[in-house]
Amino acid sequence: METSESNSYRMRFKKILLIGALVVIAGIAVYTFLVLKYDPSFVNLEERLLPASLEHPLGTDHLGRDVLTRILLGSQLTVGYGFLALLLAVAIGVPFGIFAGFKGGIVDRILMRIADAFLSFPDTIVAIVLSGLLGAGIENLLIAIVIVKWVNYARLVRSTVIVERQKDYITMAKINGLSERRIMVKHLFPHLIGHVLVLASLDLGKIILLISSLSYIGLGAQPPAPEWGAMLNEARPYFQSVPELMVFPGLAIVTVVLFSNLLGDFLRDKFDVKKEVA
Amino acid sequence: MTLLKLKNVIKSYSNGVNVLKDINFSLEKKQCLGLVGESGCGKSTLARCVLQLDNIDGGEIQFNGVSLQDLNERELKSHRKNLQAVLQNPSSSLNPKLKIRESLIDPYLQFGNQARLKHFHYTNEKAFVTQLMEAVELPDALADRYPHELSGGQKQRVTIARAISLEPSLIVLDEPTSSLDVLSQASILKLLTGLREELDLSYLFISHDLSAVNTMSQQIMVMRDGSIVDHFSQENIFSEQRNDYTKELISLFE
Amino acid sequence: MSLVSVNGLSISNKQKDIVKDISFQILKGEWLAIVGQSGSGKSLTSSAIGQLLGPNLRAAGNVSYEGMNLLELPPKKMRALRGTRISYIFQDYQGSFTPFHTIGRHFQEFLKTHLKLSKDVRKKKAEEALKDVGLQPEIYSRYPFQLSGGQLQRVSIALALLLEPDILIADEPTTALDSITSFKVLQLLEKLQQEKGCAILFITHDLRHVRNHADRILVMKEGEIVEQGEKRQVLDNPVHPYTKLLIEASSPLRKPATEKILEVAK
Repeated sequence: METSESNSYRMRFKKILLIGALVVIAGIAVYTFLVLKYDPSFVNLEERLLPASLEHPLGTDHLGRDVLTRILLGSQLTVGYGFLALLLAVAIGVPFGIFAGFKGGIVDRILMRIADAFLSFPDTIVAIVLSGLLGAGIENLLIAIVIVKWVNYARLVRSTVIVERQKDYITMAKINGLSERRIMVKHLFPHLIGHVLVLASLDLGKIILLISSLSYIGLGAQPPAPEWGAMLNEARPYFQSVPELMVFPGLAIVTVVLFSNLLGDFLRDKFDVKKEVA
Repeated sequence: MTLLKLKNVIKSYSNGVNVLKDINFSLEKKQCLGLVGESGCGKSTLARCVLQLDNIDGGEIQFNGVSLQDLNERELKSHRKNLQAVLQNPSSSLNPKLKIRESLIDPYLQFGNQARLKHFHYTNEKAFVTQLMEAVELPDALADRYPHELSGGQKQRVTIARAISLEPSLIVLDEPTSSLDVLSQASILKLLTGLREELDLSYLFISHDLSAVNTMSQQIMVMRDGSIVDHFSQENIFSEQRNDYTKELISLFE
Repeated sequence: MSLVSVNGLSISNKQKDIVKDISFQILKGEWLAIVGQSGSGKSLTSSAIGQLLGPNLRAAGNVSYEGMNLLELPPKKMRALRGTRISYIFQDYQGSFTPFHTIGRHFQEFLKTHLKLSKDVRKKKAEEALKDVGLQPEIYSRYPFQLSGGQLQRVSIALALLLEPDILIADEPTTALDSITSFKVLQLLEKLQQEKGCAILFITHDLRHVRNHADRILVMKEGEIVEQGEKRQVLDNPVHPYTKLLIEASSPLRKPATEKILEVAK
């Protein structure tokens, strides 16, 4: 009894945090639409390295660009590309996993060996090799991330499907003459949403870290793009004199990663409530 | 008219053990054929083979005059609507993530007009579900619930409603009452008997419960260790000619 | 002669009473059946006797056995009683065994806990017990998953009767078995009861199993005893409509009560 009470208390706490975070995000969106008045790449050497003021709430960088503007627009790059990479990975991995798990046998073995091959490359190496081959740039980084990440979804989905496939309701669906496509879409897919959402929201943080860190070492977004990792890189020479230039993008990254982990946690708790239990 | 005919059906496991040893029987239209046996005797394997969920290793399974064992999944499809099933465990036979309504409509959505219904009429989804719920004597309001909100007996009624939704000619009933309490068992048997007459169904009724089989069936087969050891009409159940094993079973149930 | 007498037993959770002030006696060496559907409180009643209720349930009243109130016995004393004087078998035979221990190890551990015997004597005793329940001595070295449900339930019976308890509480022991195996297991149980002379408290929802073996019947519905008495009296002249319903739903084979069953079910 007590544990369930403290559980619901924790759930409520996470809920409040999440709602808070959503309010902040909505606020940022409104701010960028209504208030933002600077071009993120407008160079104004007369106003370089200004401290925080009413004009520039977070000051300006070494080329006189407004830091707040860059961080806010950077969210589109870092978080936006993170989301995009995630979506693509899910879109490839989920059907792959359903198909392999449902078909089983030789089809499954071939498909999973392919997946294993992809899994054997560490993400950073793939990103470095790809930018060597295709040239550095955030699009190539995105391809690298998708290549590395989709396998996780394929494996997760496959193992869930293998468990569900043996249950009577799938047998009944076959007896009822349902086509395989229909069984996969109508009967198996709803069981996967929860698992995939949890993994995806936890992954989002990791992907954002990956984008930022690779941009930081110059393999992702290229200056003057206001990507947070790239901003960190540009601010490095001024770390002694103007540390805020590194602190603010760093904070942005930490906040988003934290939020993504929280969201993952929340979803996991939410989907743990098993309807299956009779 | 013969609806289902099994000729010399053999099924073995990969380790060489024969689960089904030379099974022969036929099931007439509008008949209920009972199959009774202990757990492990092979009766559920037989059900899976008849339903084409498992392949057989020898012999022939004829349904409506067509040999099913050689057909691929696409060719089987047209037979599926005539060959339905109700399994032992109603909780696992329904997808826990779907509302009762969604589970019920599943077979019809797949076959649509091919179903050629005589008894039920499809005008729209809601009305169709209402007819099905009515046929199994469940309140319509339950259709919007999820399986875990229903009792075992109610869930089994739902799986029966789904099995009759295409008005099949044969329903394989694999232990349909075994996981239910005694009172639900009796009412499910009654429902099945009524539906068989109303919809001209045939049943292959598989159970370890001799009294349930005796209540439902015109013909009864006794299975032991993968073979059918006795086959008789219901009225001859107490005849002296019964096999020793059958007599032993009967004595248990008296 | 009364072995256990239950007086004013109530079992409640935080919200409500589930078993409501029931009283009955278990006589020495008798087979007493409690019949009822799920939710009638029959299983809880049997659990309360051995202090096996879950943490959210509370039992009030008096269950006296040899001058002790079992409901208030210190847990340590209760543990000593359970397995030696009062033993249990359950519906979930799989859960009664540790999957990675052999059947023999279960016997060894059980005997070690309660008796001082050498390892070889314990093994001998175990093999005898297995023979008594109609199993081969080879079963001794098998693992639970290698046995069928019927075999496992026989092993639980062997374990439960090993120390010749005064009372065996059998909580739906056949519900998870097929009915043919059930009948065989119950025949065995009756044979063993006659040899050892213990009382059996038999919990079931199926009157068919009661018809052959029980001496007295107690019918429970929604936490109350609606009818109790000698078997013949209850089966032949049921008073409560609920009892009648249960009887009709489980007619024996000889009067193939197709019409009757079907009618009652309406």
